[in-house]
Amino acid sequence: MRRGRIVACVVLAGIFLAALVTSLGYSLIDALGPGPGFFPFWLSLIGLTLTLAILIESVRSRETTTVNILPDRQAALQGGGVLVALAAAAALFEPLGFRLTMLLFIAGMLWMLGARSPFGIAFTAVAGSFGVFHVFLYWLKVPLPTGAFGI
Amino acid sequence: MDTLNHLMAGLAAAATLQNLGFALIGCLLGTLIGVLPGLGPTAGTAILIPLTFSLDPTGALIMLSAIYYGAMYGGTITSVLINVPGEAASVITCFDGYQMAKQGRGGTALGIAAIGSFIGGMVATIALIVVAPPLARLALSFGPPEFFALMLVGLCLITGLAGQSLVTGIVMAVLGLLIAMVGIDPVRGAPRFTFGVPSLYDGVGFIPVVMGLFGIAEILITIERPYHEVIKTRLTSLLPSREEWRRSIGAIVRGTGIGFFLGLIPGVGAIIPTFVAYVVEKRVSKTPEKFGQGAIEGVAAPETANNAYANAAMIPLLTLGIPSSPTIAVLMGAFIINGLTPGPFLFKERPDLVWAVIASFMIGNVMLLILNLPFVGLWARLLRLPYQYVCVGTLLFCVIGAYSLQQSVFDVGVMIACGVIGYGLRKLDLPVAPLVLGLILGPFIEKSLRTSLEMSGGDFSIFYTRPLCLGLLLLAAAVLIGSILQLAPREVRETNS
Repeated sequence: MRRGRIVACVVLAGIFLAALVTSLGYSLIDALGPGPGFFPFWLSLIGLTLTLAILIESVRSRETTTVNILPDRQAALQGGGVLVALAAAAALFEPLGFRLTMLLFIAGMLWMLGARSPFGIAFTAVAGSFGVFHVFLYWLKVPLPTGAFGI
Repeated sequence: MDTLNHLMAGLAAAATLQNLGFALIGCLLGTLIGVLPGLGPTAGTAILIPLTFSLDPTGALIMLSAIYYGAMYGGTITSVLINVPGEAASVITCFDGYQMAKQGRGGTALGIAAIGSFIGGMVATIALIVVAPPLARLALSFGPPEFFALMLVGLCLITGLAGQSLVTGIVMAVLGLLIAMVGIDPVRGAPRFTFGVPSLYDGVGFIPVVMGLFGIAEILITIERPYHEVIKTRLTSLLPSREEWRRSIGAIVRGTGIGFFLGLIPGVGAIIPTFVAYVVEKRVSKTPEKFGQGAIEGVAAPETANNAYANAAMIPLLTLGIPSSPTIAVLMGAFIINGLTPGPFLFKERPDLVWAVIASFMIGNVMLLILNLPFVGLWARLLRLPYQYVCVGTLLFCVIGAYSLQQSVFDVGVMIACGVIGYGLRKLDLPVAPLVLGLILGPFIEKSLRTSLEMSGGDFSIFYTRPLCLGLLLLAAAVLIGSILQLAPREVRETNS
């Protein structure tokens, strides 16, 4: 937990420092009053100061109890799989279209998460892709992408 | 008289067949969200926003509001039957509700929760009708400095009560405010933090961020949790016995009062009223030792407070434009997507819409009572749905929701990134609520701060020479000092975090 907090603080400090430097590129005060850089500058400065304070406190503190925040191997693989599948779905969303992308995504995700009923997987994949597309496009008038195959 | 006329017009608008249908669909979806563990009201409301894109603003907001308070109702079922709260505000219901279910009194626990929620929700809605118009009129006299100070109070409250450390809460709020700065500067129209990426010119979408932080992160956490067994309990006897009624009435009355008054304070969040109601009930009870062993008051009081809070929390949003919790912030986002800014001007400019939404709360509460009492067995059966299917359904709606708002794959990427960030924050015990509130309030806070300073020619004395503004700033400071002194109960801070 302590090590995780230190890493988080370093990342946050980096974000606030980058925002601070970037905000200096915008005008802080101009003839009309506070400029576009005014609010982000002060926010970044406050954020950076407080993050450094937490970082120093975390580095100096001693962990009395060891809390394992990392998932076990099975959960880590499944969690990683969810993120990879989501990224792949986002990449294929427009070229392949909603229906085909989601058909593959849902079937793959159900299998990966441990579902083994062929009927359950097939039914959910078809309903979640072709069915949901129909509901959104024709009933809710929310357009979803059709891909290169016109599906 | 004016209020009564508006309410009647609102009831007429909310009672059209179309809007009744939207309220019913919202209540059903909301209860479903509450029932399914792992999908809280914030993510649930956010992922269902795309369903309302083609609706008129009144119908859309009626449906989303129904989803919100439906989810507040539905969370009880999982608390009682599997000892897992469907949403954070139902944590306390686990203490006695689960014990009642183990003793074969699960039906009574769910019954008193539904009845208490109905009473709390209805009383809070009636109070909302009385309180909201004068409060909105008062808020009309506020200038930019007062609005800045008011939003600061809300942000301080949610930051102070969000986690175990005030400093981490402030850092998260500042991060949210900073993310809100991405895009076109609202005052001068200049691009900021866009780094030449056209997709960032409209800013970082609120909906993809919320879906990632709550929806995707929750899925990643759910995968790690063990499977919970559903308690087999008798759900035939839903109505409490005469003795149980006698013990519950006081709890329901006190729960209503606590939920309503805490709902008026921006930033309190849904968990605190339930904890306070439980603690008060335990203190006034002649048999406090029975709490935690299946005391019906331990279910009636927090569940009533929860729904009284849910309805009362709409008051700061509708009258002042201040969201009290992340879920209310999502609702505020839905208002903004529909081209409406919640606050006193909405009462003035769109009274038809505001009153139709308020009137729909009353109709929704009746619908939820009907849905919760006779159909509770049906909802309980949904708990046996394999979690894989729930996860995949959630992911599907997250992708649709993130994409369809602006037809942008970039937003889906933002959602995935925020999912990873949300997972990390949860693991490191860093509070997410201040970040979300900062993100939604960021543009409003900045605009009111800069407009105030433009009014005064850059002189900061504008904030302490106006009595109301000074009072609000002192209140914000008092909240922060109170947080440093750890005035809030430790359990509340831990649960909020």
